[in-house]
Amino acid sequence: MTPETVGSGMNAVVLTALIVIYVLVIGYLGWRGWRRTRTGQDYLLAGRSVHPFVMAMSYGAAFISTSALVGFGGIAGQFGMGLMWLVFMNIAFGIFVAFIWFGRRTRAIGQALNAKTFPELIGKRFKSNGLKIFVALIIFVFIPLYSSVVLISGARFLQEVMMIKYAWALVIFVTVVAVYVIFGGLKGVMYVDAMMGSVMIGGMLLLLVLCYVRLGGVVDAHQALTDLAVLVPERLPAEYALGHRGWTVMPEFNSVWWWTLVSSLMLGVGIGALAQPQLAVRFMTVRSTRELNRAILIGSVFILGTAGSAYMVGALSNVFFYHTDKGIASGIRQLAIEAAGGNPDLIIPMFIREALPELVLYVFSLTMLSAAISTMSSLFHVTGSSIGHDLCRGISGMRRDSTLATRLGVFFGILVSVIFAMMLPPGMVARGTAIFFGVAAAAFLPAYVAALYWKRATRAGVWASVGVGVGVSLFGLIFLHRKESAGLGICQALFDRTELIAAHPWPYVDPFVYSLPLSILALVTVSLLTAPPPERHLKRCFGRHGRE
Amino acid sequence: MMLGLGDASILAAILGCLGVTLLCVIYGVLHWNCGAGSDDGKDGRP
Repeated sequence: MTPETVGSGMNAVVLTALIVIYVLVIGYLGWRGWRRTRTGQDYLLAGRSVHPFVMAMSYGAAFISTSALVGFGGIAGQFGMGLMWLVFMNIAFGIFVAFIWFGRRTRAIGQALNAKTFPELIGKRFKSNGLKIFVALIIFVFIPLYSSVVLISGARFLQEVMMIKYAWALVIFVTVVAVYVIFGGLKGVMYVDAMMGSVMIGGMLLLLVLCYVRLGGVVDAHQALTDLAVLVPERLPAEYALGHRGWTVMPEFNSVWWWTLVSSLMLGVGIGALAQPQLAVRFMTVRSTRELNRAILIGSVFILGTAGSAYMVGALSNVFFYHTDKGIASGIRQLAIEAAGGNPDLIIPMFIREALPELVLYVFSLTMLSAAISTMSSLFHVTGSSIGHDLCRGISGMRRDSTLATRLGVFFGILVSVIFAMMLPPGMVARGTAIFFGVAAAAFLPAYVAALYWKRATRAGVWASVGVGVGVSLFGLIFLHRKESAGLGICQALFDRTELIAAHPWPYVDPFVYSLPLSILALVTVSLLTAPPPERHLKRCFGRHGRE
Repeated sequence: MMLGLGDASILAAILGCLGVTLLCVIYGVLHWNCGAGSDDGKDGRP
């Protein structure tokens, strides 16, 4: 390695120049956002007048982070293409169902009630300041977990590609994001997202094409990957025991990995995307349904091009690592997870560094940076709005513009995320993402659907639903789902066992599978047992349709 | 197996991704100019 190159082989001067230009563009877009932010509505909802391209790219960029590209891409490298079912769910539910059945009504009802955040939408729809505060509190407690794992995945990428210390990578990320989120508000966030989303889809499609070219074409690459399946029992005994049977087949039915793939990823993350506050708020940023219709086209292509590419490349990286003659690990042929030292979060960064031309590496550095920064900014913004606009205003009864409080809330949310990012163990990225999506879905999805469609839902019913969703999810994480219950140790301390129910498959069933139905049951039962909401309020929420 | 893949469920996943994306694209194109106007707020129906 010459003094002019960094450890990854990239030219230090070129890389630095690219990053400086990139940061300057971010700064400019953030400054534009700051200049056009005058009111609370500007800061929280980008003035309700966002262009559909910006809205769709921002939605997609907020949705697909480095936790998807690096974390889940790494899982695909470890366990295979079964993860493509998650992409299907992301597009089918996260885009098609979300925009048509959730987006339109969220925009309309949000406008009718003058709601500027997701907690405020729920609170005003059910006429409960307490509910708004409770929902905001859940967001404030759980989102830093998700944002911290996004921070980790981005920092790991920088660590691997630029060969810098993990702590420095965290500092770089946080500083860049903090400045434009705090000052630019949602306008700044979405302008930057649109730019970053463009970089992401261009970069990931290029990665997929180059991967197939490097590996000899689509069919040859897939066949070579299929042929590696015979190595799994001997080389990956732990994964084999979990149900892994090869990278181009589904895991064995009813195995540990099958339950993780289906319950945590496909259902938890796939359906959980419908109830993500940082995504739902974007439906309220456009002027009319026309913008949402246009955004469906853009958003679907974005998800397919980014997440789809990442998971295919992750799985295919095994072919590269096993058949390469570049001398990884002293010339011993290795599978991707072996080459990454057992940490799936390192598979994608390593593949990019080792398999692709140097010029392309620069593009992917920016692609991965974009993915991390765009998602982090949306999470920091929604955390800040929960603290500043919902919690502080809700508790204090303050009525004036909450922009300053929201900015302080963003700063505080960033601080908590960084602390988590320094403390969490490696390999947590996919797990942390799944936890957050599952808890948010169980807590918010029934209430959100009821807010949009069920006029008979009552305040008490929603309280019960949100409470049961969070409570059962936490109970499942602490006492039933082995991955978390064993790690937390509370069940062990109280009951001298890692989980309460050891019989298969319960230690591997994601809490989302039972917390969501129980949350729905609580909503329906309590709503039907309590007085219906006033008709005048329903007419205000739903316009001329009023009561069903 | 088609495209060098190991089983039909993976092929179904990939084709499903392409199919649902195509559905979204067609939907977006067909509804490109639908739903404009400020009064849209009174009717949130698909």
